[in-house]
Amino acid sequence: MVDLTIDGKPMRVPNGTTVFEAAGMGGIHIPTLCHLQNQTPVGVCRLCVVDTGARVLSASCVRAVEPGMKVVTHSDKILHARKTLLELLMSDHPSPCARQEQSGDCELEGLAKAAGIAEARFAKRSIARGEDDSSLAIAVDHDACILCDRCIRGCDEVKDNFVLGRMGKGYSAGIAFDLNAPMGASTCISCGECMVSCPTGALTNKGPAGTAICAGPGTEIFEAEELLQIPVFRGVSGTFLELNRGAIVKRRFRKGEVICREGEFGSTAFYMVEGRAKVSLSAPIAHVKTQGGAKGFFKRLTSTLVGREEDRRGEETRDRTIPIDASVDLSYGNPVAELGPGDLFGEMTCMNFYPRSATVVAESDIVAYEMLRNVLDIMLKNKAFRAQLDETYRRRALENHLRGVPMFADLPPEFIGHLKERVELQGFAPGQVIVQQGDTADSFYLVRIGFVKVLENYPGGEMVLAYLSRGDYFGEIGLLGGGDRTATCTALDHVELVRIAGDDFRDMVAKFPGVRAGLEAVAAERRAANQQRLQRVDSVPIDQFLSQGLMEAQSLLVLDLQNCTRCDACVNACAEAHDGVTRLVRDGLRFEGYLVATSCRQCRDPLCMVGCPVGSIRRRNSLEVIIEDWCIGCGLCARNCPYGNINLHPFEVLSDDPQNPGRKKAVIKQKATSCDLCTHLKEPSCVYACPHDAAHRVDPKSFFAEMLGGSGAK
Amino acid sequence: MRIDRTHRAWAIAAFVMLAAAAIVYLSDTLNAPQGPRGGSVVGLLFGILGFGCVIFAALLGARKRVPTWRVGRAQAWMRGHLWLGLLALPTILFHAGFHFGGTLTRVLMWLLIITVASGAFGAALQHYIPRVLTAEVPLETIYDEIDHVRALLREEADRTVEALCGDLGLAKSSTEGIERAGGFTALRPIAGAVPLRTSAAVSAGASAAVAAARENIRLSQEEGAPLRIFYLNEMRQFLEYPGKHPHRLAHPATASSSFAALRTLLPGRAHGAVADLEDICDEARQLARQERLHHWLHGWLLVHIPLSLALVLLGAVHAVMALRY
Repeated sequence: MVDLTIDGKPMRVPNGTTVFEAAGMGGIHIPTLCHLQNQTPVGVCRLCVVDTGARVLSASCVRAVEPGMKVVTHSDKILHARKTLLELLMSDHPSPCARQEQSGDCELEGLAKAAGIAEARFAKRSIARGEDDSSLAIAVDHDACILCDRCIRGCDEVKDNFVLGRMGKGYSAGIAFDLNAPMGASTCISCGECMVSCPTGALTNKGPAGTAICAGPGTEIFEAEELLQIPVFRGVSGTFLELNRGAIVKRRFRKGEVICREGEFGSTAFYMVEGRAKVSLSAPIAHVKTQGGAKGFFKRLTSTLVGREEDRRGEETRDRTIPIDASVDLSYGNPVAELGPGDLFGEMTCMNFYPRSATVVAESDIVAYEMLRNVLDIMLKNKAFRAQLDETYRRRALENHLRGVPMFADLPPEFIGHLKERVELQGFAPGQVIVQQGDTADSFYLVRIGFVKVLENYPGGEMVLAYLSRGDYFGEIGLLGGGDRTATCTALDHVELVRIAGDDFRDMVAKFPGVRAGLEAVAAERRAANQQRLQRVDSVPIDQFLSQGLMEAQSLLVLDLQNCTRCDACVNACAEAHDGVTRLVRDGLRFEGYLVATSCRQCRDPLCMVGCPVGSIRRRNSLEVIIEDWCIGCGLCARNCPYGNINLHPFEVLSDDPQNPGRKKAVIKQKATSCDLCTHLKEPSCVYACPHDAAHRVDPKSFFAEMLGGSGAK
Repeated sequence: MRIDRTHRAWAIAAFVMLAAAAIVYLSDTLNAPQGPRGGSVVGLLFGILGFGCVIFAALLGARKRVPTWRVGRAQAWMRGHLWLGLLALPTILFHAGFHFGGTLTRVLMWLLIITVASGAFGAALQHYIPRVLTAEVPLETIYDEIDHVRALLREEADRTVEALCGDLGLAKSSTEGIERAGGFTALRPIAGAVPLRTSAAVSAGASAAVAAARENIRLSQEEGAPLRIFYLNEMRQFLEYPGKHPHRLAHPATASSSFAALRTLLPGRAHGAVADLEDICDEARQLARQERLHHWLHGWLLVHIPLSLALVLLGAVHAVMALRY
């Protein structure tokens, strides 16, 4: 034991006790920012300085007691030193910070206020360290960080996660996740320990919009303690669950009740605990076909819905399955499947706010957890939950996905079984680069969830080659063709991939020459298509041309305004060709003496393809957009198109009548359509019907070449 | 349709046919003891050829009603309509030997002359007006939308003035809240122009970016009085009936001087709003111009089409009567 005096008060404390702890035992409060119970003291903030009679003031959190020590914790000299430190810290701190705004308990601002600091004497930081908004659960404001390291010690010592550390020096010093990755893309599991450790607004709870799911009949809201008793929530941070009360609820659905409908927007995912549900598509599995009613010249064109058995379009996918936002895929011929306990559905809707991809109806009484995005994000980072989901996926959907790659369709079951064990399931945050053009190719990827943007750099620019969604694959060109990646692939949203390592891939192509031949053919086709696209690309820095998005287009419908008499023959022809639903509006942007009419431009960056919940919109090698048969008519592509060039075509179809089981009733279902250039005819109807030689379908680069100084001519 | 070099083949063909017909006519006239007659073989041939040209020209209307039929490009039909329609007049004159004949044939001849003349007039208008429309109406919208766009412009102007001067006591419509009038072609700059969506914005589930709201500036009653008076007494009337009465805002030069004078009466902080009002007037003026040009561009068809139909009908009656009796 050690005897000492603190502020004139005699005390006896165990050997090895720090002055800070000893003062606490004696009921004497010493202010601090960097020190927290259960964490190793580091003495970096120096606010806890005391006078021990030594030459300089000592940081009490790291100064061990000594026999006979006389400690003064509050003197003018000490208070002055603390005030100066606080002023220095405040000069480097955005006030009020996020935490002060949220809950008014920023420790630094509280201490500064208590010390009577209204305004710092010192100049503010001129170099911003920035914010990190990549995590769904925690907001990071590096400018509010005082480098106390409490978060780092919380992560390392309290939770044993070892994700956080220090980076940089001097003014740029700050905290970092992994090797300075964005928090959302790091290995952080969002346990929340750093957030509760942080004394300022550097790490704060984001909370989802609305923060709670609407409670209704059959809904139970949990307390954090209750949730932690449920097996799938074991290991999740109680602090986090406490902060997000109401963001996860238990729901009960009666048999026959609709849990979600295809095409509807939502923001939650469902994890099934009990019961069985039927997942299906009610939209007709067909595409819009425009055709003549009679042969010969006198064709009256009508638009009808036809399946691919009746009408096989060029480059139409031969997929046998329809990707949906669940752990199973649906069959093209019979789009119905069953979900049971342990299945998660609505992940894309929840994480990326895409429309529901399918209708889910309770086949028996069901109990499910419904959760918002931040909770699902945490759950997906929970090792136990993740392992369970991955196991379900491997068991129920992986084989279908692997066989969905046409070349893998005929692989023997043993090899598919071998691959199923060998593949790695990987997740990527929005914006995260999956593979970089020029890097060494070491894997083949299959998209499981989300959208991957494939982009190729060329001298003077870059071009989006494709958006890949569930069931699509990439990486084969690099592996087969010499080892280097030929394009950069980036996660556009929350993306999950199946990774087949390069060695396994090479093993496969060596064992199965048919697979190699198939992959090589696809790789050659993709290379040729990419080459063709790039050949059209030429950088033409004409402001107006670029600002109107004409540069983005591969093909435009232009109206020569000096010839056009505004008779609307083109619009009438388009409507006539498509059952009265025109895909052309004689209005749009003007460039020189031309009107760029509103019809599909076959953009270089086809935003319409982003977010399709069933991956039914894609483009052919000719760049023309094709909408696959399983379009559910949700209209997201129409909303995403910046030029308003996708329309929804209503059709009357027979559907099950929920009021009268066993009977059918006529309902209106919509299918997305875009200008198809009247490919079934020699020339687009709008151009053919223009009596004034005003309507032209053109490649913008060559058509406008003269105005652009000839540099764009190809 | 612009009559340019692309019409050369049709023009040459029509001229050759005309020359050939003239030679045949002259030869027939010189050889026929009773002079040229419609009932002679040559006269009948001219009649058939001329009426055939009229029928072909009239079929353009039918062709337009079935735009998806693959019976030749509409452009070829239009050129045929122009040149064969023009050729119909001399051919029928050759058929009639330049005589107008009895009542029916006289009526037919005048119908043909007026139809061809109205067609030629229309072709000239359609050659000239699209260029004028393109040059003078950069804010052109779809013709049927003009009234709607005009209503939006009025509401936008109301809002602009009310933001400065307070409530004007004007009726509000259901379109309240629309930020900017005009269709896709509205080229007037929008405050904080709306950028096109990017893939990043789309992926984040974000909707289209929103233009920054204009700063709200309220003038005192005294300061705002000139604007209030100008708007209620002049500009709003112009926006309601832009082409009805002569108005100084209807002409760019006088409108510009009106707004310049108004600026001198208002504090500097209101000048941005005055510029907006000037833009609105400019758009309204352009829409009025578009309306007028559109009437010229298509108005002649009100004469041409009924006369063409009458010509075809009476021509058929004449053919049947002449051949039968």
